[in-house]
Amino acid sequence: MMQGSISNRIRTLRFMNSEMSQAELGQRIGLTRQTIAAIEAGKYSPSLEAAFRIAQVFNVPLGEVFQWDPKATALTVS
Amino acid sequence: MSYREKIAWLSLIAMAIAYGPYFMFVARGPGPFEPLPHLHPLGLFALVSIVRMLILGAGYLYLRLGSPREERPPLDERDRAIEHRSLSAAYYVLIAGMILVGCFMPFSSTGWTIVNAAIFWIVAAEVIHYSVVVASYRVQASS
Repeated sequence: MMQGSISNRIRTLRFMNSEMSQAELGQRIGLTRQTIAAIEAGKYSPSLEAAFRIAQVFNVPLGEVFQWDPKATALTVS
Repeated sequence: MSYREKIAWLSLIAMAIAYGPYFMFVARGPGPFEPLPHLHPLGLFALVSIVRMLILGAGYLYLRLGSPREERPPLDERDRAIEHRSLSAAYYVLIAGMILVGCFMPFSSTGWTIVNAAIFWIVAAEVIHYSVVVASYRVQASS
């Protein structure tokens, strides 16, 4: 089985950006609140375009939102 | 539960109510309907299809009136990915069923048995389609 997983800091970044709601973030990038929740929980990997849009909303580089851990088997979300 | 998941559940329930009794009835044997072109079974199938449409129509109306507009957003990339996955799974079921019905059953069965087998595999493919949709939304739902 291939190892590695993607983690993300969307929840933290939302909190740091005036406690932005999942619905508001979703509205700004054209995704549903449920999809944002699934991304945050690591249950859905967004497209590259959606990932860039999320980073753009928070005005940070993509690497600050999503991280790739090649050795991890379980996903970690902060 | 998202609006699309509710729609998938509704479709599964409508198929179970409509086609469940139909297939239980036709599975009891060829009965007085065989052979073709006796059209009674076609009328029975039309009846259960109308029942299914009525259940779906009433269900859609109920869900639409019960869900505010913001709970019914347009499809996003995750919805499309789920739809793609579910249709792919259904396609393989349909192909397997059609190979069985079209290539093997003509050597062992006749008439309405073959027709009902074909209908069964079409319904089975639809069941797989909506089941994968429901399972995908369940798995990806945050706790």
